[in-house]
Amino acid sequence: MSERKIPWIIKYRPKRVDDVIGQDEAKKTIISWLTEWAKGRIPYKKALLLYGPPGVGKTSLVEAIARELNFDILELNASDYRRKSDIRRIVGTAATKKPLLKKGLIILLDEVDGIDPRADEGGLEALVDVIKNTINPIIMTANDPWKEQFRVLRELCELVDFKELTENQIIALLQKICDSEKIYCEREALRWIASRSMGDARAAINDLQAVAEGYGKVTIGLVRAIVRGREKTINIWRTLNEIFYANQAWAAKKAVTQSEEDYESLIRWLNDNIPKKYSDPLDLFRAYDALARATVMLSRAKISGEWGLLSYVFDLMGPGVSLARRSEEILKTRYGFPDWIRLMAQLKPMREEREKLAEHLSYRILASKSTIMNEVIPYMMLIFRNPSDPVIAARLALGYNLSKDMIKYLAGDNTENVIRALEKIKRARPEEVGKETKREPEKREARKEKSSKGLDYFIKS
Amino acid sequence: MSSIAEILWVEKYRPRTLDDIVNQREVVERLKLFVKEKNMPHLLFAGPPGTGKTTAAHALAHDLYGETYRHYMLELNASDERGINVIREKVKEFARSRAPENVPFKIVLLDESDNMTSDAQQALRRLMELYTVSTRFILVANYPSKIIDPIQSRCAFFRFTALKKEDIVGRLRYIIENEGVRYEDEALDAIYEISEGDMRKAINILQAAASLGMVTVESVFKVVGMARPREVREMIRLALSGDFTGSRNMLRKLMIEYGLSGEDVVKQIHREIFSQELKIPEELRVLIADYLGEIHFRLVEGSDEDIQLAALLAWLALLGKRSQM
Repeated sequence: MSERKIPWIIKYRPKRVDDVIGQDEAKKTIISWLTEWAKGRIPYKKALLLYGPPGVGKTSLVEAIARELNFDILELNASDYRRKSDIRRIVGTAATKKPLLKKGLIILLDEVDGIDPRADEGGLEALVDVIKNTINPIIMTANDPWKEQFRVLRELCELVDFKELTENQIIALLQKICDSEKIYCEREALRWIASRSMGDARAAINDLQAVAEGYGKVTIGLVRAIVRGREKTINIWRTLNEIFYANQAWAAKKAVTQSEEDYESLIRWLNDNIPKKYSDPLDLFRAYDALARATVMLSRAKISGEWGLLSYVFDLMGPGVSLARRSEEILKTRYGFPDWIRLMAQLKPMREEREKLAEHLSYRILASKSTIMNEVIPYMMLIFRNPSDPVIAARLALGYNLSKDMIKYLAGDNTENVIRALEKIKRARPEEVGKETKREPEKREARKEKSSKGLDYFIKS
Repeated sequence: MSSIAEILWVEKYRPRTLDDIVNQREVVERLKLFVKEKNMPHLLFAGPPGTGKTTAAHALAHDLYGETYRHYMLELNASDERGINVIREKVKEFARSRAPENVPFKIVLLDESDNMTSDAQQALRRLMELYTVSTRFILVANYPSKIIDPIQSRCAFFRFTALKKEDIVGRLRYIIENEGVRYEDEALDAIYEISEGDMRKAINILQAAASLGMVTVESVFKVVGMARPREVREMIRLALSGDFTGSRNMLRKLMIEYGLSGEDVVKQIHREIFSQELKIPEELRVLIADYLGEIHFRLVEGSDEDIQLAALLAWLALLGKRSQM
């Protein structure tokens, strides 16, 4: 049933040259160079080497220009053409054939710096040969073209510089996507994503989609919790490694105190990654026991304001977790992102609904919210979740004038049934809709008196 | 025309007046005297849950003030109010509100008052003295020993006892007749046994069982089992079998599905580990309870619930492994 989600980096890939953000110099250079080809002339340099950081639009721009100038495109990734024989066979063949329908054929070699001069021996030389003999335009992309091994290649190409995108450019792009997806977003949140992306639009869009699809909105709180700079992820993995693999207390403590990650989120990371590294039940318990006591210390530090206690928090979360391991084995499982923030986002509305329901019932049931939550709601749930008789639940929903959300909380998977039964009752007995059922008729008089209380009060005084 | 809307039977069959209350006879007789004299001291109602303390307070107020009694009674719940200052403000405001016509005082009903810290109780005592001319306090508590002496000495003490079998079963029969419930006799005995003299629980079980069809011993036990999320037992079982990650996923699912707090989960586990349906070596129950109590305290103290409960599950996994050897 669930529709397949298209990654936004594909959905919002620029279609036209104007859609590509910035890079005006590069646009000009590429267009005039290709226009030469289109006119049947062969430019001085037969290949372009587009270079710049990832996610700034190198490949998208070539695709957009090809579309607008009516060129065909043969797009190859480094993995497709890295070997000498592949380059001769695929690229070489294409480079010497005239296309029949379109103005020309662009051979686009993505990530040319992925060719390893040792592992893919002869690959670069083969490429140089192909460029010398091509009758079609060849465009290559690279992040870093300044390595020595690319020297010969560089001399054959016109170099086209792609600039890192500015924060504001990325924010504007993200804003456009949010608008078109009709997703609520906070400016601050977009700024956060943009600054973490380090000029990489692809990364920023991916981050945006992760938050937007997970939570339906993009707020600074969510983004802070979920989006981290690429650098930071590597840092946290390093810190975790230093903790899990440390054999001495000082090393583990140093890992904690020198981590760039703040201790609260480090605790979250440890919390979800201990079982990924420790498998022996004794190790696992000792590690969680230490971490649990770290959080006890932390809450004491917070409550008392004695921040000197923080040192013990570090002791327990670093060396405590590290030295919990008695067995030699450390699992190879990859680290995972902490889950708890996502879970809390789901948990909070459920808790609030439960509270609201208890509050709603407490005037009638004459018990505290906690008594109602623990002694009354479980039985109501049972009635509401009984699929074979939704009418009883619907009658109770009517009797207590329960909101849809309350019904949903009580009925879970059975919600549809109960709502349907309720609608049916409401159609059949419209006179009972909207008023809470009172036990006895005299209660209604009580209500009347209450409403006239104000006037009464003045007459008496 | 009878209403199609339904309400919970605990509300529907709650005694409204002191005459309606058939048990707790001594208590009721003394309370009736207060109604007759239209005067009373502060009261302290103590006894186990579901024995009619709150109901008696409402019935007393009803008999004193009539149908509109809730205008003249401030209903507070110590567990729900945020601190003594909030209570003080509410009492202050209430004391200023309109007085009843024929009775010289209004009532402040403070439920679950034994949940207050002793400092808060000291403040409460001053409050009781301050407004003693215009108001009377009824304090309701499960454990009177948790009420400080200066308050106890200012209150007339009423002890509510767990309801007897004939009281509970009698009430259940009355409801059954009124509601046209199909049932078998043994089921009522079963409900009484499970309720341990708690009328609220007994009636809730009856209503839930009736919603499933005929009330039988089997359906009663089914209801009681279902009222505790089955995920709790499953989570414990997984942990004891050594599947820490599985049990932790179950824990998180449980919390999200029912919106439970960490403390709720601890209480559920506690109930579960002493239930005979959980087949584990007896000494394990104590070892679990010991750590559970520690975790419970930490949660009350405000430390992170997800991590504390993870530690608990890791403890279960370790115990499970040891008991296999």
